[in-house]
Amino acid sequence: MRLFLLFFAVGVLLLLLQTTFLHLLPVVPDLVLVLCVYLGLHHPTVGAALGSFLLGYSIDVVSSRMLGLNAFAMSLVFFAVYLSSRSIWLHHPVVSSLVVFLAALVKGAALVLAWVVFLSVESFWMGAARYIITEALTAAVLAPLVFYLLRRGEQFTMRFRAPAQ
Amino acid sequence: MLAFLRKNQVPLSSCFCVLLSIYILTAGARGQLRNEPLGAVVMWILRPLQVVSQGTVNWISGFRDNYDTLSGFKAENERLRKRVQNLEVERQKHLEAEATNQRLQQLLALRSHLSGTAITASIIANSATSWFQSCLLDKGSADGVRKGMAVVTPLGVIGQVVAVTARTAKVLLLTDANSGIDVLVQRTRSRGIVSGSLENGTVLKYMKRSEDVQEGDRLITSGMDGVFPKGLMVGAVIKVRKQHLGLFQFVEVLPAVQSARTEEVLVVAADNGAAKN
Repeated sequence: MRLFLLFFAVGVLLLLLQTTFLHLLPVVPDLVLVLCVYLGLHHPTVGAALGSFLLGYSIDVVSSRMLGLNAFAMSLVFFAVYLSSRSIWLHHPVVSSLVVFLAALVKGAALVLAWVVFLSVESFWMGAARYIITEALTAAVLAPLVFYLLRRGEQFTMRFRAPAQ
Repeated sequence: MLAFLRKNQVPLSSCFCVLLSIYILTAGARGQLRNEPLGAVVMWILRPLQVVSQGTVNWISGFRDNYDTLSGFKAENERLRKRVQNLEVERQKHLEAEATNQRLQQLLALRSHLSGTAITASIIANSATSWFQSCLLDKGSADGVRKGMAVVTPLGVIGQVVAVTARTAKVLLLTDANSGIDVLVQRTRSRGIVSGSLENGTVLKYMKRSEDVQEGDRLITSGMDGVFPKGLMVGAVIKVRKQHLGLFQFVEVLPAVQSARTEEVLVVAADNGAAKN
């Protein structure tokens, strides 16, 4: 329950950051994606899968033209990370960056697929490629920091729970 | 069946989420998504937080814009300050050039006044001690300057060349105690010798007690010494004192030219003859 509250709070915080503060930067990093990857790697549970879906859906509600686009992409990312999590040995920040980079590419591919199927936009490919690469790079750069903060948050939650027991 | 579900609950739930997303997308594309309660909940949670966050972001943006504007003003101010400095330097150069031009024009006018040739020179140094009143010119024998030539300006007499090298000439100023210039009192045509002195400044020597000399009288070169052309201004009488004893009266003179403020001079030959005035 405490972990659920932690990730819920973190998810809301990251959404807020992405929709407000991070717009001060030239590129908005996809921190919600990093959270989904973290959940897929460290908490492969039903709750985490639903959480990823809800995070993507929240992005859709807040900023997407069409509901379900980001929910689809985030669910797919979680699923992909979950499938590969058994073969990933994540003990180095560079590895976390690499995983997030690949996950961002998966998300980008999923979004492109959904766009092509459900939306018809001209002159789409170059812009999409640029967005995908940029988002993947920024998310990969910030991934170690977000992972570190999430781990610290989890440790804090565990410590908080110990005296209660 | 239940065991299978439990064993694969994560991939199954993931697949369910993916399929649910696709369903939402399809329904949205077909326009069948009318009631959408989840979005309202999400917005209910996020909206107040977003209002506060966006307010903060706006404040930061405003602060940043103000800072950028102020930085722009500062940079503009700095640029204008430098511009003013440059313009001030330019102005000084122009003023200096204008003053030099004026002086040189006066020299040219004097030069055309004098018969024969005259050499324009600049004063490049002054006397190193107060015992001697001299200066150094940037022209020497290579330029035609010879010992004994007169050094004058449009305002009057400066002195006489006493030593020459190839590129420089040393001038003994009329204020030096060793100098002597034959002069006339312009008003009365009385003759005397203007010379410097260590005690009393520049004086008019050998002026008889009976001669009429008054304060304010102008002294001009007589041309009789064979050094200075006739009619050049030497100075003005500022003090006359007749002593009880002696043949001569004491006359103090203010030189017409302050050598310390002079930059360009004309060096003229003794055989130039009189100035045309």
